[in-house]
Amino acid sequence: MNASVRIGARSLLAHRRRLVGTVLSIVLGVAFLTGTMVLGDTLRANFDTLFADANAGTDAVVRSADAIADPGVPGGVRAPLDDALTAKLRAVPGVGAAEGSVQGAGQLIGADGRPIGGQGPPTWAGNWITDPKLNPYRLAEGRAPAAPGEAVINRGAARTGKLHVGDTTVLRTPDPVRITVVGIATFGADADGMGPSTFTALTLADAQAHLTPRGSGQVSTVRLRSDSLSQRQLVERVRPLLPSGVEALTGADATAQSTADVSGRFLGLFTTLLLVFAGIALLVATFTIHNTFAIVTAQRTRENALLRALGASRRQVLGTTLGEALAIGLLASALGLLGGFGVAAGLKALFAAIGFTLPTGGTVIKAATVVLPLLVGTLVAAGSALAPALRAARTAPLAALRDAAVDEAASGRSALLRGALGALLVAGGLPAVIVGATRGPSLVLTVGGALALLLGTVVLGPVAAATAVRVLGAPLARLRGVTGALARRNAARNPGRTAATASALMVGVAVVTLFTVFGASVQATLDDTVSRSFAGDLAVTAPAAGAGGSGVSPKLAPALAALPEVRAAAGLGRGVAQVDGHGKQLDVANPGQLAQVTDLGRVDGSLADLGADGLAVSRTEAAARGWQLGTVVPMRFADGPAAFTVRALYRGGGVTGDYLISRQAWQPHRVQDSDGLVAVALRPGVSLAAGKAAIARVADAYGNPQVQTRAEYAESSASGVDMMLSVVYALLALAVLIALLGIANTLTLAVHERIRELGLLRAVGQTRAQLRAMVRWESVLVAAFGTAGGLALGALLGWALTRAADSAGTGSFALPAGRLAIVALVGLAAGALAGLRPAARAARLDILRAVAAA
Amino acid sequence: MSAAARVEKAVKEYGVGDTRVRALDEVSVEFAAARFTAVMGPSGSGKSTLMHCAAGLDTLSDGRAWLGDTELSALGDRELTLLRRERIGFVFQAFNLVPTLTVRENITLPLDLGGAAPDPAWLDTLIEVVGLRDRLHHRPSQLSGGQQQRVAVARALAGRPQVVFADEPTGNLDSRSGGEVLGLLRSAVDTMHQSVVMVTHDPAAAAYADTVLFLADGRLVDTMREPTAERVLDRMKAFDGRRTRAGAR
Ligand SMILES: Nc1ncnc2c1ncn2[C@@H]1O[C@H](COP(=O)(O)OP(=O)(O)O)[C@@H](O)[C@H]1O
Ligand SMILES: [Mg+2]
Repeated sequence: MNASVRIGARSLLAHRRRLVGTVLSIVLGVAFLTGTMVLGDTLRANFDTLFADANAGTDAVVRSADAIADPGVPGGVRAPLDDALTAKLRAVPGVGAAEGSVQGAGQLIGADGRPIGGQGPPTWAGNWITDPKLNPYRLAEGRAPAAPGEAVINRGAARTGKLHVGDTTVLRTPDPVRITVVGIATFGADADGMGPSTFTALTLADAQAHLTPRGSGQVSTVRLRSDSLSQRQLVERVRPLLPSGVEALTGADATAQSTADVSGRFLGLFTTLLLVFAGIALLVATFTIHNTFAIVTAQRTRENALLRALGASRRQVLGTTLGEALAIGLLASALGLLGGFGVAAGLKALFAAIGFTLPTGGTVIKAATVVLPLLVGTLVAAGSALAPALRAARTAPLAALRDAAVDEAASGRSALLRGALGALLVAGGLPAVIVGATRGPSLVLTVGGALALLLGTVVLGPVAAATAVRVLGAPLARLRGVTGALARRNAARNPGRTAATASALMVGVAVVTLFTVFGASVQATLDDTVSRSFAGDLAVTAPAAGAGGSGVSPKLAPALAALPEVRAAAGLGRGVAQVDGHGKQLDVANPGQLAQVTDLGRVDGSLADLGADGLAVSRTEAAARGWQLGTVVPMRFADGPAAFTVRALYRGGGVTGDYLISRQAWQPHRVQDSDGLVAVALRPGVSLAAGKAAIARVADAYGNPQVQTRAEYAESSASGVDMMLSVVYALLALAVLIALLGIANTLTLAVHERIRELGLLRAVGQTRAQLRAMVRWESVLVAAFGTAGGLALGALLGWALTRAADSAGTGSFALPAGRLAIVALVGLAAGALAGLRPAARAARLDILRAVAAA
Repeated sequence: MSAAARVEKAVKEYGVGDTRVRALDEVSVEFAAARFTAVMGPSGSGKSTLMHCAAGLDTLSDGRAWLGDTELSALGDRELTLLRRERIGFVFQAFNLVPTLTVRENITLPLDLGGAAPDPAWLDTLIEVVGLRDRLHHRPSQLSGGQQQRVAVARALAGRPQVVFADEPTGNLDSRSGGEVLGLLRSAVDTMHQSVVMVTHDPAAAAYADTVLFLADGRLVDTMREPTAERVLDRMKAFDGRRTRAGAR
């Protein structure tokens, strides 16, 4: 065996306990990375299977060619087709079967009167396709719908809603439709449904009546099947017969598109988010690994010097250390890989726990998922050890003869260089962040500045560490006497090491703080939005079609307006149109009524005069696009282009978005109409409780939407942020855990290094309890340094992100003092926790071994 | 009782089975109060072991050890720690000072650990005697080896302990620095009536003591009063001769 390899292997074995922290941090980071990748691949495959099953018997799909991108609907919104096309296609030679398919949003109400599902996974309604090969659903019980009001529901929905064949219930389309369950269906041979979604199948005529704009003679798509032609041949055969604006694609292509739509939007965002957190965890691990190797090589200075004196080349010493890092990296990554499969399951459970159900199915492991984490973990380990290895290689042979100086203070020149570089990065990053956040705002400039700032802080760490620890530890010396003073000096004695250890925690705390501040600001913005622009007393809402519901019936607002308790009620519907090539959400309302329940600020022009071709635009959007009153804006709807004239400008950033059109204008372009919100103003003298009760009585008949007071509405619009924050905290807990491992690891190594000093202290009368306290307080101080830095950096970046993401300039900024205090406390407590084991080890130390070693 | 510390039939064994070493073999000695006692013997004869056991740094395998009237074997770790802090002073061969503390802080360390305030007049006297007044705020790494040992002596004396134990305090020093440290210990006995026990293998160092105890193979083999360097050297040579004979046998 090669000498370097042998030495490396021996020292690996000799130091295995010291390397536990390193191994653990790589294992955790790699496990997270692997878990993310496995989860992404698995979900993609699950969705693919789902869509393939849905299209299993379909050879071709005919649909409108134009899709208007809608953030709420994967694949966008398409205009319906004329049902006459179905009969025409059925007559084409080679076509085995052709059936019109109507699909829309339909929220099923369970036996207990509550909506079934409706938090994320879609709730579909459509027609029961009679051709068994074209219909992906199979009847498990009962029969197909044959008469008006009859419906088949999927088994999963039946179970959740406790509905049985023969039961009657309500389907919100969003107009409430009374249905009788005549059958229960499985998706494919045996699945409860298409993933976690729900499906209610009506007769074709019912589906057309409730789910298409004209109410009859329209279908969403035509599904074709052929016994004699290939999918491609079938498409070629029908294509010449299609009217303009209608396209045909093979069943396979339709499946691929559906998968791509979901992957591209939802899964892409989802896995990117998780990958970012895996990256943060690995970044934090880098500090721990670097520190461990820096300390281990420092302790091994004499050994390396001896090797050099005996004739080992620099390269051999370098090779030994790097080889060690590579071996550890590979081993730990392999362990992490195994753990990652567990993490994937855990992540899925985490999302399920917060009510975010993902489709089920077997775990998919691709080759890249095995190779990439192994590679990343190994490279992270080797890369982090590079600087210490180079330092080890530079060891002078003479160092073997000198007393090894373990505590190396940064020398004058390198400290100066470091200070200059750090200052430069901060000086460049800080203005970039501020300018990026306030002028523009430019996300790119802000993010670039933030990275420079982070890097600058890490570079400056060692320069700042000694002073910072001295300041933070000042009360400690006063409170805890000599034990505190010793802890404070120990934390400050090797600023480089303290800074590297604290940096890991700083990164973790900074990201936690960033999200906390950003989340609080978003909540404050939502709160403000409601309090500023919602002038009504009560709000009636139901999850919109894109959020897995079907919205509120547009008929509810007029019904409420007729109540004696109600002064005004206005529904706010949602439409989509393409403006300048981009899909935009439109708010659809009766402008006159809207003005009574919402505050749109100063209005230029007239909202009442929007008419059928008028557009009201927020002032910021108009300014950004250079529009004025009278500007003609070409818009494109699912059914084709239409020109609108800007007739009013209003203050944006309220419950209404940037575009507002009248119901009359939306009418010809709509597909399935629904309101997202009905805002109600009560007559003077009517109490909130009385008004709420009266409204709930009416709303009950419309499928039981939620009736909230203004305050409740503001709170619930902000509640999504809490959910997001809890997920982010759970994901960041790992990075913080790794940072704490780093503190524990560094302290353990430091205890080992200072063994004689600790022995001396014990000999001259330091009790075990005092020794333990000393080590623990050192840990707390290092944690305090990291936490303080992280809080400051995170708050600054949180502010910048809030400003940069707020292009309209209407958002609020909030520094949640309570939550940040908790973050600080958790950081300190975690520091104390991290110090427990090293402190216990230090206290077990054998005094004689320490003092007798002369 | 005139003994500052004593051991009776002290036995200390290390290891088990074949690797068992009997470092102390039924040793009984008394270290007189207000006297300077040197413990001599060849390397490996058990000098350090004796000192560690007498000073409560280690426990005996058999036999008993007293500090004044306190029997050490009856004490737990915490009591032993407090005993060391309050009633014993230590000077080791090397690594005597905490590198992060200043000279002054090192001197008052045992008192600080106990939360006791040092007697300023006494501290002043000590600083005067060890001659480091202008170095009080320096770190140990800024001092020479001899200066460091003088600080260690000052620390050992700071709490006016019952006994100062010193293990080869001059082992790493040149003869001039060594002389200064030994002079300090000597004057502590003469002017402050301090009891001092010093382990050494240097006859010149032993000559500073009032009494020299000779240890060989874990046993007390001789005692010499009013030693001179020559007499101690002669006595040591006798050991070496015997050892050589023992080795030849
Ligand atoms: N911790 C230990 N484990 C095993 N043997 C030891 C230990 N400490 C000392 N010894 C042995 O005990 C004997 C006496 O040691 P020591 O008291 O250090 O001698 P001295 O100080 O006179 O040189 C020696 O043989 C030594 O090898
Ligand atoms: Mg010895």
